[in-house]
Amino acid sequence: MTKKRIVFSPVTRLSGLLSVEVVEDRGIIVEAKASGTLFRGIEAIMKGRHITDAVYLTQRVCGICSLAHGAVASYLLDELYDHDISENAQYLRNIMLAADILQNHIRHFYFFSLPDYVKMPEQPPFLNQNLTDHRLSPQDNARLVEHYFRAIVASQEAHQLLTVFGGKIPNQHSYVHGGVAVAPTADKINQCLALIYSVHSFVKECLMPDTELIANVYRNCFTIGNTPGRFLSFGMFRFGPKNQYSLWRSGVLAGGQLSVPEIHLISEDITNSWYVRADGQELPSPYKPAAYSYIKSVQYAGQTYEMGPLARMVINGFYRGGTSSMDRIYARAMETLLITELVIDWLKKLVPGPPPIHQKKVPVKEHAVATTDVMRGALLHSVRLKGEQVEEYKMITPTTWNFSPKNNKGQSGPAESALTGTVIPGPDMLYTILGRIIRSFDPCINCGTHVLDAKGDVTGKMVF
Amino acid sequence: MPKPSINSDSGDNNIAFMNTTYPYMGQVFSGLIDLLYSNTFMAAQGKDALNILEQGATELRGKFTLVVEGAIPLKDNGLYTVIARTENYSLTALDAVTWLGPLAKYVVALGTCASFGGVSAARPNVTGSVGVRNVLKREVINVSGCPVNPDWFVATLAHLLLYGTPELDNLNRPTLFYGFTVHRHCQRRSYFDQGQFAEKLGDIECMFSLGCVGPRTGADCPYRQWINHVNWPVRANTLALAVPMKISLTVPHPFLRPYQKKMRLRIKNNQLFLREEQDD
Repeated sequence: MTKKRIVFSPVTRLSGLLSVEVVEDRGIIVEAKASGTLFRGIEAIMKGRHITDAVYLTQRVCGICSLAHGAVASYLLDELYDHDISENAQYLRNIMLAADILQNHIRHFYFFSLPDYVKMPEQPPFLNQNLTDHRLSPQDNARLVEHYFRAIVASQEAHQLLTVFGGKIPNQHSYVHGGVAVAPTADKINQCLALIYSVHSFVKECLMPDTELIANVYRNCFTIGNTPGRFLSFGMFRFGPKNQYSLWRSGVLAGGQLSVPEIHLISEDITNSWYVRADGQELPSPYKPAAYSYIKSVQYAGQTYEMGPLARMVINGFYRGGTSSMDRIYARAMETLLITELVIDWLKKLVPGPPPIHQKKVPVKEHAVATTDVMRGALLHSVRLKGEQVEEYKMITPTTWNFSPKNNKGQSGPAESALTGTVIPGPDMLYTILGRIIRSFDPCINCGTHVLDAKGDVTGKMVF
Repeated sequence: MPKPSINSDSGDNNIAFMNTTYPYMGQVFSGLIDLLYSNTFMAAQGKDALNILEQGATELRGKFTLVVEGAIPLKDNGLYTVIARTENYSLTALDAVTWLGPLAKYVVALGTCASFGGVSAARPNVTGSVGVRNVLKREVINVSGCPVNPDWFVATLAHLLLYGTPELDNLNRPTLFYGFTVHRHCQRRSYFDQGQFAEKLGDIECMFSLGCVGPRTGADCPYRQWINHVNWPVRANTLALAVPMKISLTVPHPFLRPYQKKMRLRIKNNQLFLREEQDD
C-alpha cells in the first residue's frame, strides 16, 4: 500500500472552520476532500420573518464580508419594492462595499496568507508555525513582518471609512433598501478621503511590492493549485436607478468563450453534503453516510466554476495569466489597488446633500433574485414572499462554488481539483503546500455553510 | 495572560477585534495577551495547531482565559460545529468548551451568540444552539454584541488582567459597558422627551417610532461609538436593534416595526419571549 490518507485539520487562518482530507500516493495528492464543518441555518431563520429584516439578518451570515450580504439583500428588496436608487446613493453604496472589500483583501493577504511565506516572530499567535519552505532574505522577511503590523492599521482604516457612513461594522446599518440613510456631507467626504488616501498609500507602498516579492521568490507557486479554468462572475459595483448596470462586467468564461450568466443554469447537489431531502424540505443530517461537508455542490450548466478576484480580473480583461495559487493572490492584490482608486474617484463624485434614500411602503413583487460579485466572488440571494413575509429565502455564496464537494458525477469543486495532482516533495512540506493552495481561494466557511429550507432550484431571469 | 479562543459564529467578533484602536491589535498581541490558540490568527495549522491547544490546557491549567465566540450547538452531539478533526474523532465546539471550560481561570463569551445563543439560536434553531452559560456550570463573563464593540472586549480582557473580574449585571455582563440603556444617553433623547418622532429613515428626530429599541438596549454606544469611535447606528440615522441583549435577534419581530407594535406581537404570539424579556 503506497496510498496514505491524511487529515489536515484545522486549516487555520481563514473565516470559519475547514478540514481537508487528502490521499497521498508516492508524493502526489491523488484525492482531496474539503469539509466545511460549521452549520448555522440562517435561511431557515429568515422563513416567516418580515422581508425588510433580510438586510440586517443576512449580514449575520458572515463577519468578514457582512456588507456583501447586506448589499445583495438590498438589491433584492429594491426589486421587490420597485425602488429608484439615486446616483448619489449608488456612489455611496459602492464606496461602502468597496471599503469592506479593501479590509477583506488586506486582512486576507497579511493575516491569513503571509504566514504561508514569511517566518513570523516566535511568539503567540505565531507559535508552531513550521514553515518548511522559506526563501526570503532576513531583510525582506523582517520588512514583511513589519508590514503585517502596518496592515492592522490600514485594514482598520478601511473599516473606519465604512463606519463613517454605515454606523458600525461588521453588520452596518445605513446601506438598506431604497438607498443609504446617511447624508453624504462635506465633512464626511473629507474625512473619508483622508482615510482612503492612507489605505491607498499602504496598498501602493506595501501590499503591491510585497505581492511582487513573494510572487518572484516563490515562483513555483505559479505552478501549483491550478483549476480547470472555468470562471464565473455576476459583475460588481452596480449603478443605475434599478441597479441594472455593473461597472465590472459579469461573465461566464469556459474554453476561451465568454458568455452572460443565466440564473436558471445554476443547480445545487447534495450527494456528498450533510443534508437530506424529505417532504420537499432540506434538512441537515450530520450522520449521513459518505457525506463530508456542510457545503453543497454548485454547478453552472452542469460544470463547476471558480470565482473571486482572479475570475473578475480575467473576465474583465485586467489580468492575463494562469489559474494557479499565485495567480489568485496576484489578481487579488491588483484588484485591491484598483478599488482604492475607484473609492477616491467615487468620493469626489459624491454631491453633498440629504440622505439619498426613498423607501416605498409595500412590495409590488412576490419573487425576486439578486446577484452581485463581492469579495470572494458571485453572491446570489433569492426570495419568495407571501404578502410581506418570507416563504423561502435562499443564498448561494462564492465559497459554496469554490469549495463544492464532489457532485453526483464525482466532479470536484475548484479547491478540491486545485489540490489534486499536487506534488509534495517531503512529508514535512504537506501542511505548507496544501495551506498555500487552500488559502489562495480566501475561503469563508461561514458563508459556505449557511444553508437550508429550500426546495427546487433557483429560477427566474436576471438582466445583467 | 494566555488565551485560547474557540470560534463558531459568523466570525464577526474576531473581525471586530481586528478593528480595535489604542490598543491596536498588534499592541494587544505584544503587550496584553498571549493568544495561544485562535483559528483566525494562529500561524500553526493542522496538528501543529491542535498540539498548542492540548499542551496549553495541561501546562496552563487554572491560569488561562477561555474566550468563546459563537453559540454552542447541542443537537446531534454538537456536530454542527466541528473545530478540528483527526483520523479518529471530531472535536466539536461542545467538546472543546466542556473540556477547557472547567480548566480555565476565566471564561469569556464573546458576542451575543456565545453569550445568549443570538442569531444562531433564532427560531427554528435547527442546531439546538445555546449560549456558553447553558453549557458550563461556572461563571461565564458575557461580552455581548453583534458584533462586540472592540473596546468592550479588549477592555474586559484588560480588566481581568489588571483588576480581576469586573462588576457584572444580572446577565453577567460588565456594567462598565452595559450598565445604562442606549436611550438614556442617546443624542436624540430630547426629541423623545418632546414627543418629536421620525417618520422615515434619514429624519433627525427620535426613531422610537420606527422601531428603535434603545430603551431596552443596555450598552454605551452613544458615548463609546464604533471603529475608532467615529459613529454608531443612531447617529447614522438608523435604529438601535438591541443586538447586545438576550432577546435581540432571536425574537421574530420585524426590526423596522414601531416598538409598541413589537410588544403587542410578542405578548399575543409567544409567552416564552415575553418571559425571557423580563430578565433583560
